[in-house]
Amino acid sequence: MSDLQPVRMDHVSVARRRFLKVTGAGVAGASLLTMLEARQAPAQLRGTTLRILTWSHFIPAYDVWFDKFAAQWGEKNGVKVRVDHIPHLEIPARMAAEFAAGTGHDLILNNSTILARLYYKSLVDMTDIYDQLGKKYGGWIPAAKSPIEVEGRIYGIPMYYILLPMLWRKDLFEANGLKPPDTWELARVAARTLKPKGNPTGMAFSHCNDANLNWRSLMFSFGAAETDPSGDNVMIDSKEMREALLFAKAMFDEGMTPEVFSWDDASDNRFLASGIASWIHDAISAYRTTESTNPPVFKSTFIGLEPAGPGGKRVSVSAPIVFLGWKFSKNQPAVKEFLVHLVDNDKEGMIQSTGYNMPFLNDNAKKPMPIIGADPKMQVLQDFPKIVAFFGYPGPYTPQIQEVANLFVLPDIFTRVARGTSVDEALKWGVGEYRRIFSKYKRA
Amino acid sequence: MTVLPAGDGAESTTRAAAPPVARRSSAAAWWRTNTSRRLAFGYLLLAPAALYVALLVGVPFFFSLYLALSDANVGDPVATFVGLENFRAAWEMDTFWAALRNSVVFLVVAAVFKSLLGTSLAFLLLQNFKGKKLVRGLVVIPFTLPISVSVLSWKWMYDSQFSVINWGLHTAGLIGAYGSESWPIWLGQPHLALIACIGVNVWRSFPFSAIVLLAGFTSVPLEVLDAARVDGCSFFQRFRHVVTPMIFPILIIGFLFDTVFTLSDLSVVYLLTQGGPGSATQILPVLAYQIGIQAGSLGRGAAIALMLVPLLFPALFLMLRNLKRRDW
Repeated sequence: MSDLQPVRMDHVSVARRRFLKVTGAGVAGASLLTMLEARQAPAQLRGTTLRILTWSHFIPAYDVWFDKFAAQWGEKNGVKVRVDHIPHLEIPARMAAEFAAGTGHDLILNNSTILARLYYKSLVDMTDIYDQLGKKYGGWIPAAKSPIEVEGRIYGIPMYYILLPMLWRKDLFEANGLKPPDTWELARVAARTLKPKGNPTGMAFSHCNDANLNWRSLMFSFGAAETDPSGDNVMIDSKEMREALLFAKAMFDEGMTPEVFSWDDASDNRFLASGIASWIHDAISAYRTTESTNPPVFKSTFIGLEPAGPGGKRVSVSAPIVFLGWKFSKNQPAVKEFLVHLVDNDKEGMIQSTGYNMPFLNDNAKKPMPIIGADPKMQVLQDFPKIVAFFGYPGPYTPQIQEVANLFVLPDIFTRVARGTSVDEALKWGVGEYRRIFSKYKRA
Repeated sequence: MTVLPAGDGAESTTRAAAPPVARRSSAAAWWRTNTSRRLAFGYLLLAPAALYVALLVGVPFFFSLYLALSDANVGDPVATFVGLENFRAAWEMDTFWAALRNSVVFLVVAAVFKSLLGTSLAFLLLQNFKGKKLVRGLVVIPFTLPISVSVLSWKWMYDSQFSVINWGLHTAGLIGAYGSESWPIWLGQPHLALIACIGVNVWRSFPFSAIVLLAGFTSVPLEVLDAARVDGCSFFQRFRHVVTPMIFPILIIGFLFDTVFTLSDLSVVYLLTQGGPGSATQILPVLAYQIGIQAGSLGRGAAIALMLVPLLFPALFLMLRNLKRRDW
């Protein structure tokens, strides 16, 4: 009888060292979860140091609040907190330097250029607190995982994202009998009508982040895709993409001036503030700054939902902001504890950013949201969480897409078409650049 | 059969038969000679410089070479050898060739203008006039200002809407109003964008050329110049046949520095255009930074950066060889 035969135990035998490792990790994990549940920082954090590297926020008041918030958390938990702010474009170089040195900050913010997939082997696995925060706040919005998930694990905590809605001049639209720019077609009609009257529109056709974000919003709303859902295959050569390119060319010819080829991320802000722009597609900081620089423009500028494409689809490509923690950090418990505390105070962060920071958690995205829910002009921003996407859509935000974005390949395709290159030729060039980048990662 | 080596067979046999102790003692005796001591002392004095060069130039260079031949990326400490794959990938990129072409154009055009402006400025500063010391101090300001500050100021001056250059030209009646066809978009039109970037590089660096030349000019003895003048040499003849040969080593060193600084200048293009519009202002250092650091592909970034070596090496080699020959 088979049940009388000796059972081979070698595949289930547990070495003493392994037993200690597994039970130790289990106990540590369980205590962390209990601690997080109880919202009480562990005693071993006392006397430690937490070094945070973050960006210089476009809303300076948010930085003031963040620094104070971090210091107060440090005082309460006996942790010495140091916060360094640098321009977000310098963060990749700083991360590379810290990685090479194996030392540096414990917690690093990534803005738009999300490096979680590049560094994941050296980053703290945050799946535990990600899941727990999701459970606590009604889940994360669908796009949240895209930049930080690698092989089913989560290597960062999404903090907020920055939207680029339509900012349009209601006074100019009404004076010319134009409908609000609820679709890209209506936006084009407005640009065509208002440019001859001295109020062109503008979307950057240049090497800047706005160009990377805006043209993706347009092409995705037209039904085009950047990669397939796996993220491994390039999908830009499609009928929808061709339509989007032809549309962009027409909108440039009819409603823009060549200055859009030279724009940086702040140029459209100045364009709106100068009173010339009929509409721009930009972050609400452009709208906010006109409050002090040009009050009449501020009064007549309205915020619109992402314009719909020909099929009624709306996709808003936004800039994600996430925090990552180095594995070499000697203070990983403080990293997680601080992040949980920060997410717990997400709504306060939204208030301090004057509605600039958009929440990744469903409960925080419920109407009415702080600040924007109370402002009639900004209430429409509350409808964005359902349509937010990031680079690579509908695929994930992979390192190859990151490289494509860093080299501005997609805006360059639109630029070539706007400058007169045929759609076929521009797409052929673009697909070639995409494939070269993708093939390198495939080989790797 | 024993085959004796060519030459003095007896001596070879004796040497082969000599005990090791005797060989050691002869070596020790050599170390006690004045020649060996002089040699050792010489090498000892040379060692810090050699070590300095090896550490600061050799190690980074060979590390770049190692990266360029591997699939290293910023997030993975373990890299595998991929041969010339990164170079091949770079050669296949249209952007790489645009960057290479722009780098060469950038270098040559900037060098011509820096030479012209630097020489003119150096001659101006040689003249005696009131406030000369103050002016000498002021002209180096572009070179001493933090590059980010000066380039951002230029970015404002090149702004598509608020460009002070355009407003000046418009006020002078040379161009139309904002929005007209003749209103230049400095950083948006491909050729203008490259000119704008070169302009900032020239503005920043020509005071350096002027200072180098000024140092050279002041080292030329006045008697020699007077003698040439007495012999009937014109200004240009004196400059070509007297001054230039005398200050040639200084010129070459200045030119060397300038070539290296210009070819490796990342900041001006990165801060003004990030290589755009399209690839109109893309240069090798910016492309290497975007791929190597921002996108994290260290291997490919290093391969692109190393492409500067074939550009720089022949120029440097010829210049240094010429300099050495003149020394002799």
